[in-house]
Amino acid sequence: MTEAINTDSINVDAAKNEAIRQMTDYILKEIVRRPGVEVTPDTPLVSSGLIDSFALVEIFVKLEKLTNRRIPAAKIQPKDMDTISSMFATAERLGKPRQ
Amino acid sequence: MVESAGRCALNLLSLSYLLFIPLVWVLTRLVNSVTARPMKARQLLWLAASYLFYATWSLKFLCVLVVSSLVNYALGIYLKRKPTAGRLWVGIGFNLLMLAVFKYLPVWSSHLGQGHHSWLLENVILPVGVSFWTFEALSYLFDIYREEDLDPSLTEFCLYMAFWPTVLSGPVCRMPELLPQFRNPQPTGDDIADGVRRIVLGLFMKTVLSQILGSGLRPGEGVDFGFNQMARGWTGLDVWILAIGFAFQMYFDFAGYSNIVIGTARVFGITLRENFRDPFLSTSPAEFWTRWHMSLSSWIRDYVFMPLATWRPQVWWRHASLVIAMMLFGFWHGADWTYIVWGALQGLLLVSHRQFQQFERRSNLQLPPIVSSLGGWAITFCAMLLSWVVFRANDLHQARLMFHALVHFSSYRHFVLPRNFVLMTVVIAVSYFVIAGLRRLAENMKQSPVVLRIGWALSPVMYSVAVLAIVIMSIHKAVFVYLQF
Repeated sequence: MTEAINTDSINVDAAKNEAIRQMTDYILKEIVRRPGVEVTPDTPLVSSGLIDSFALVEIFVKLEKLTNRRIPAAKIQPKDMDTISSMFATAERLGKPRQ
Repeated sequence: MVESAGRCALNLLSLSYLLFIPLVWVLTRLVNSVTARPMKARQLLWLAASYLFYATWSLKFLCVLVVSSLVNYALGIYLKRKPTAGRLWVGIGFNLLMLAVFKYLPVWSSHLGQGHHSWLLENVILPVGVSFWTFEALSYLFDIYREEDLDPSLTEFCLYMAFWPTVLSGPVCRMPELLPQFRNPQPTGDDIADGVRRIVLGLFMKTVLSQILGSGLRPGEGVDFGFNQMARGWTGLDVWILAIGFAFQMYFDFAGYSNIVIGTARVFGITLRENFRDPFLSTSPAEFWTRWHMSLSSWIRDYVFMPLATWRPQVWWRHASLVIAMMLFGFWHGADWTYIVWGALQGLLLVSHRQFQQFERRSNLQLPPIVSSLGGWAITFCAMLLSWVVFRANDLHQARLMFHALVHFSSYRHFVLPRNFVLMTVVIAVSYFVIAGLRRLAENMKQSPVVLRIGWALSPVMYSVAVLAIVIMSIHKAVFVYLQF
């Protein structure tokens, strides 16, 4: 039983890490598109001016797809979307799994 | 007539205000050292000072502000108990009603004319700053709905709404930023020096530069004359010069005012959010809106655009949301078609910029950085100038006439505006870019001892010239353009 739970949690972590990797890739290649800029899960995106509000919406839509959750946008604060890590934490906290 | 300010209204450009600041500062020090509960006593003192400040404009204005504060505080408690969308909408409804009654109704009724509407015109008041403090109340309700950990006392909430440096014309503050500072402001020597520096700089921008551009050096010159009294019409050159003049007049007026506000708060140990950051150096419309009236543009982004744009996943909806959000931005300035069209133009500019980015992405277009920056800057600057023509025009008909002159190239052979005004506008605009460029250079080289020494040597000279110019220009009556919003 314990082993099954551990395996599940490892799978969940692996899926989450893969989603974070995909998001990092998406932001670098589709949003930022500037040579020499490095984006890690903890890089400030909004507060540093790296992305604008329109790009933030694109990232939000991508986040919903990657996590397969519906996130109530009215409940989100700018700081919740400032880094890739905080985005995924927010999706887990506020998002509801899609049917 | 709509209720106007009293004759002894304290404004941030008056000598009485410059006496008001040290008086409240000394009383704050006294309260901090004498009372057993300095935090509560200091907050009460600041609230009393804020209400006194606002009451000098009109007691009726103060009544509206107090009622709005009490109702919004109650709405906050109601929402905090159960943060549902329905309860949030009750709060939004109340604040929109406040704006409709106290900001838009007087204007609409004046458009409708006299007769049975005259009762409205005689009795409805237009409290100064109502758009600013109502938006602060709304952001508080949104933050409570988003379950932000906020627990202001009634005094703290009333102070947040009425805080005297910001009550007239912003910056639009947020409770999460101000609440901890109201509880524990710690002004250091550097804060006070920086605050005074910002006040002097703001007064210089506001009373000297903006005033010169607005009214000109002599009667019959200036942006106001150019827009209001050009009986013979405009040439293409006139429109460009007026657009540049008005853009810089607005910038020096509002950024200068914001400097005074931010500097005043800094003297008391309160750090407010910045409102302007060299907007005319922006290389895209999106960047411009992260540098111009930043407190309101970030408000629109966080509380209007984001919830609206994420409502539907389609790209067209994101574009539509951008235009709607910017139209609301325009409407915030007043119930006039010129503002709404200006907002729509801003929205379309942002969408066009987005489309160009998409095109760059798809075609893998890589412009050299210098071409991309200079081209982006030139297009953004010109587009912003043209949109300001619509914003400032007295009506859409005037805006149409001015645009008509712009596209008739034969009208570029001469200009009608006074030569002095043209020269002054060009000198001020060029100086702005030279100074902004040098400042960026100095920021990059601030470790250099030579730059530091030059800075120290020039500061007293610059500030003496600024103070002298402020005193001379104060003889003329300074008017704050943004106060009408």
